[in-house]
Amino acid sequence: MSRNHAGIGSRAGAVLAALVVATALGAVAPAAAQTIAVRGGTVHSMAGAPYVGTVVVENGRITEAGPSVAVPQGARVIDASGLHVYPGLFDAGTQLGLTEVGAVDVTNDMSELGEYTPHLQARTAVHPSSEHLPVARSNGITHTLTLPRGGRSGGFPGQGSVLSLDGWTVEEMDIAPSSVMVMDWPTIRTGGRPSWMGGGGERSYDEAREEYERSVAELTQWLDAARSYARSVEGGATIPRDLRLEALARVTGGELPVLARVDAERDIRNVIEFAERQGLRLIIAGASEGYRVADLLAAKGIPVILGPTQSMPRGADRGYDEPYANPGILHAAGVTIAFATFNSSDSRTLPYEAATAIPFGLPREAALRAITVAPAQILGLSDRLGTLEPGRLGNIIVTDGDPLEITTQVRHLVVEGREVSTMDRHRELYERYRARPKN
Amino acid sequence: MRLSPSGSPSHRRPPRAVPALAAILAALSLPAATSAQEQPTLPTLPPHFAITNARIVPVSGPVLENGTVVVRDGVIQAVGRNVRVPADAWVLDGSGLAVYPGLIDPMGTLGHPAPRGGARAGGPAGGGQGGGASSDAEHSWGPEDRPGTFTWLSAADDLDGGDDRIADWRDAGYTTALSTLPRGNVTGSAALINLAGDRGREMVVTPLPLQRVNLDAYREFPGYPASLLGAFAYLKQLHYDADHYDAAWSAYERDPRGRTRPEYDRALEPLRAPVPLLFPAEGRKEILRALETSRAMGSPVIVYGAQQGYEAVDVLKAGGVPVLVDMDWPRPPRNADPADEPTLAQLRAYEHAPTTPARLAEAGVLFAFWTGGLDDPSDARARVKRAVDAGLPAEAALRALTLDPAGILGVSDRVGSIEAGKIANLVLVRGDLLDPDAPIEQVIVDGRRFPVFHPSAVASRSDRDGMRRERREGGEPGEAPDGREEGEARQGRVDASPAPSGPVVPMVRDRGPYRSDAVTLIRNATVMTVANGTVEGGDVLIRDGKIAAVGRGLDAPRGARVVDATGLTVMPGIIDAHSHLAADAINEGSVNSSAMVRIRDVLDPEDVGMYRALAGGVTTINVLHGSANPIGGQNAVLKLRWGADAADLLFEDAPPGIKFALGENVKRDRDPDRYPSTRMGQQDVIRQAFLDAQAYQREWEAYNALSARARRNTTPPRRDLEMEALAEILRGERLVHAHSYRGDEILQLLRTAEEFGVTIATLQHVLEGYKVADEIAAHGAGASTFSDWWAYKMEAYDAIPHNAALMAERGVLVSINSDSGEEIRHLNQEAAKTIKWGGASPEEAIRFITANPARQLGVADQVGTIEVGRDADLAVFEGDPLSVTSRVRQTYVDGHLYFDVDLDGERRAAIEREKAALLEKHRGTRPATTPVTDGVVTPSVTPSNDTNEEVRP
Repeated sequence: MSRNHAGIGSRAGAVLAALVVATALGAVAPAAAQTIAVRGGTVHSMAGAPYVGTVVVENGRITEAGPSVAVPQGARVIDASGLHVYPGLFDAGTQLGLTEVGAVDVTNDMSELGEYTPHLQARTAVHPSSEHLPVARSNGITHTLTLPRGGRSGGFPGQGSVLSLDGWTVEEMDIAPSSVMVMDWPTIRTGGRPSWMGGGGERSYDEAREEYERSVAELTQWLDAARSYARSVEGGATIPRDLRLEALARVTGGELPVLARVDAERDIRNVIEFAERQGLRLIIAGASEGYRVADLLAAKGIPVILGPTQSMPRGADRGYDEPYANPGILHAAGVTIAFATFNSSDSRTLPYEAATAIPFGLPREAALRAITVAPAQILGLSDRLGTLEPGRLGNIIVTDGDPLEITTQVRHLVVEGREVSTMDRHRELYERYRARPKN
Repeated sequence: MRLSPSGSPSHRRPPRAVPALAAILAALSLPAATSAQEQPTLPTLPPHFAITNARIVPVSGPVLENGTVVVRDGVIQAVGRNVRVPADAWVLDGSGLAVYPGLIDPMGTLGHPAPRGGARAGGPAGGGQGGGASSDAEHSWGPEDRPGTFTWLSAADDLDGGDDRIADWRDAGYTTALSTLPRGNVTGSAALINLAGDRGREMVVTPLPLQRVNLDAYREFPGYPASLLGAFAYLKQLHYDADHYDAAWSAYERDPRGRTRPEYDRALEPLRAPVPLLFPAEGRKEILRALETSRAMGSPVIVYGAQQGYEAVDVLKAGGVPVLVDMDWPRPPRNADPADEPTLAQLRAYEHAPTTPARLAEAGVLFAFWTGGLDDPSDARARVKRAVDAGLPAEAALRALTLDPAGILGVSDRVGSIEAGKIANLVLVRGDLLDPDAPIEQVIVDGRRFPVFHPSAVASRSDRDGMRRERREGGEPGEAPDGREEGEARQGRVDASPAPSGPVVPMVRDRGPYRSDAVTLIRNATVMTVANGTVEGGDVLIRDGKIAAVGRGLDAPRGARVVDATGLTVMPGIIDAHSHLAADAINEGSVNSSAMVRIRDVLDPEDVGMYRALAGGVTTINVLHGSANPIGGQNAVLKLRWGADAADLLFEDAPPGIKFALGENVKRDRDPDRYPSTRMGQQDVIRQAFLDAQAYQREWEAYNALSARARRNTTPPRRDLEMEALAEILRGERLVHAHSYRGDEILQLLRTAEEFGVTIATLQHVLEGYKVADEIAAHGAGASTFSDWWAYKMEAYDAIPHNAALMAERGVLVSINSDSGEEIRHLNQEAAKTIKWGGASPEEAIRFITANPARQLGVADQVGTIEVGRDADLAVFEGDPLSVTSRVRQTYVDGHLYFDVDLDGERRAAIEREKAALLEKHRGTRPATTPVTDGVVTPSVTPSNDTNEEVRP
């Protein structure tokens, strides 16, 4: 297939950069903060039963929400009568802002060189006028955890940042600039083809395991070094500032959770064991074999950011519905789950990753929570995100139906307390070419 | 120090002076006398000798206890119980010994060892024959370059008597082998050799016109063919070229006056008459391909490999095809990752491969054992024993090592049995040859005897194996068993671990329809007919694979299976106009037009992706060639008859088609450069191809217009598979499916096609189709697009999810496709996106994945709607198919139930049980746990954990 193999020279990249700047389609100017009242809609606050009522946002925060809330004087009113009001959707793992055109290398800022760059933060490279942001936003994704990416050979590629998907600058988008430390967990790879493609690798298991062990040892050494560094600094030693160890010390000190993208059962078990030994707060991302360790995850209270549900079973003999059933099994076991697209251009399909699990056992309510409240809880942001309650950030969507259904339209968007247009590059192109005079 | 046949004084010496065989053997056993590296010697036998008092197993006839074999000048003179030993013959007392015909290895490269330090990638190394391509071989730009074709080479020439494998094979009882040249698509003619002699000329029994075919030579030779697709197309073209060459030369030789002399082609000379082919094939799909290809080439075929021949006994029997079974039975690799669970297919191969000979013998298919991937031929008898343990009668096993290979190779008049007049190739065994522990005492080749060194006397068998392995692995890189990569050998194919015992684990049915009822009534469903609206509370009657009635309150005919579909929605089976499932190769990108290659040649009916697509309600797919070149290969429209052979997957009356491609995938840098690298050049390639096809058509039209008499005196034009396909496009007989993104390239293609009166059938992807929708509609092309992918490359940056709806609004025939094994699992959701983006109606959205793709593929009279007379291809959803929370409950193809959400669970449980039994039996060498690493326990994921009885994902 084409898109997996697209390669294009840097010349084209330069052209692209010019094009992005010149056209900036869909880059609708963010409005200034204002007082907004979303009035008359069915409010799905995610903190209780739905009600018909009003949500008021002032200075970027929800100040009031309820069935009989009055519209403040001078507030801008969004009439939601007959519509539904939800917290903005949370894509709990993306590259939004970090990439524009996948095949054009110069537009990509996800992966830095080297395995150990824990001091880097995704937000530093976020391009606020990326066309991907309004595209995701217009389908109700109002905030995301955007992540730097490494390989799978062990390392700390940097910190993920939680951002709202609207702002003149990244500073206006910031929710939690340093939200998680990404940890690349090494996997034992005998190389070559995966087993379901007939297997056959370049290395023996012994060789592969040796490399894995080296990688684990390296991770351990970095964490040990961070602890020593922190002790020295606390003890008042005058040592040169080390940005890497300083960043990792926030992990060893328990301030920052690590987020590890692992899928196979063995990797999940290994990373859990490692995190426990190292005293790390762990968030598991991916977890396509999570259902095999559901009880362990539940018992340890380790949250999981799943995704994407719309993916292939992990082997020729696996059931066709393995990825579809995984979220429901984890939920039933009591694991806190969220969904993510781990993508940028596809971020808008987040609700369907959650919904696909519904006919295979995930309750509808849990699916909705997993793209609103649950990611906020997992990332320690539930006092600011995830529900329509006073004090929460004013990230609100107004729809004409259940956001889990494809045919539902997002009618209004409020991001960081500002009403934001649902216009994006795609709708602009659509409207422009739809208006092309008929031949 | 050979004795001359006559005149030498010793010739007349009385025979009693010859030391008794037993004594010689006893002497041999003295450890002090030998080392592992040195072959002991025996006095050379005179040309006239007799073996007496032995158990003779002639294979061609009954066993003779206490028999005598008389040999003179390398030929068996007499065999029998009461044969008189001529007075002048030396006598070898064969008491306690059994004499068998020498074993024949009917395939391999003996006499053509790998070059020293051979750095060649993949497979057996070449014979240094000259003419063999190397890594710096010339890039092939088409069949005319005769890529990897060495038909003129003969394995009988330049044999290397110093190939040290020869002694190993002989020690294992082999006296004769077929020597083939290993390299290339068609490697040259083979030679039957005896495994004795220092020089090739002494070894050759006879050159044989057999040509060995390899299907993976494309990996080694640069340029066309660069894939399995090209490999098959090339073989067929080679045959047509040889035919044409023969016709041209025959005409010229009849009367050269006034004719232009045809060009001499050494590659085609040996193919002027059909030659038998040695064709590789492991399992059923490959065997069927081998048969089809050899039929197209008009050549008799011998299949080699065939370890999964147990899947194809009926096919081999019907085809009357002899088989050379690779006895190096597959085994789990050593030192594999314990978490890498083997697939059911792999486990079945481990379990059932050794049953292949028994199954073939039972069916009466002629076969022979080939040592195949064996590194050490002394393992051969152990491998044969596994086949015997799996049910092969001992007598058949013996024949398959001797007389049957001789018969298959057409040389049973000289080798393969102990009969007067045949070559004196004999094996002397202390015991039963088929007992791997019975020592082979002597091997006689062409009347010359070779003692066999018995390591058991000086070292244990495993020590010897160790030494042998060390020699192979350390000293001689590149020397790998035939047809295998060296790394594979290192990873454990030389493992002599004992065969797992226990009863054969039976295969469960893991493919095929769940039910095949002649009459089915689906009752009380929401029936989306697509043709005539939606019927609430509707019934669909299926009879003999067709829709027999649609309506409310239909009566169930006698014997009908009635399906209560209350609350369910029935829609036409989903049709995907762009898929790459079920194909073992996708791109033949070596050339800018690969119109000659066909997806149907490489269909993989075992691709579980088809079943998973059925589970998404899909019943028909258009399997397309990739997008590497402006003119790609021929596509195949399939019905998802999961479990059927490749030929039966083909949608019977679907018009043929071909892939075109534009834009970035075509332009991409290649090494060496391949024209075109711009959209300008892409148009040029397509235009020129059409011009060439016009010329080709004219050439044939002129020929066909000749009178019968004139035609006899005229060489017909060369049949060109590429031009044939292109000419079909010009005639409107072949649909063009053109991969395209940008509006400008779409427009240019339409205009180029219009120059030649061609209508493009579908534009595929067509992400900027909305920009030129009016032009597409006016041209009459269909558009088959994804729902919402964008920004993955530059030409997808203006892609919008409103594309489908907007094109449809402007009058274009639109379908939504997957181009993905994942996306095909929820095309109903992808269709729903056109409602959200662009405002398609629900009815239209359903048409995008049913009636419209059916029209685009030219199969709308059979599928795509629910109407009386249409094929009963149906998807049954739990609720509205356009809801993301609806899933498929059943899928029917031709009225057969191919998916059922409940029966799926039952089948899966059966598969798990079979797997568990097979894993138990074959995972012997797996480590139970993995060690602690840096304080981290790496838990072993043992297969027993893999059966999820509580949770069913």
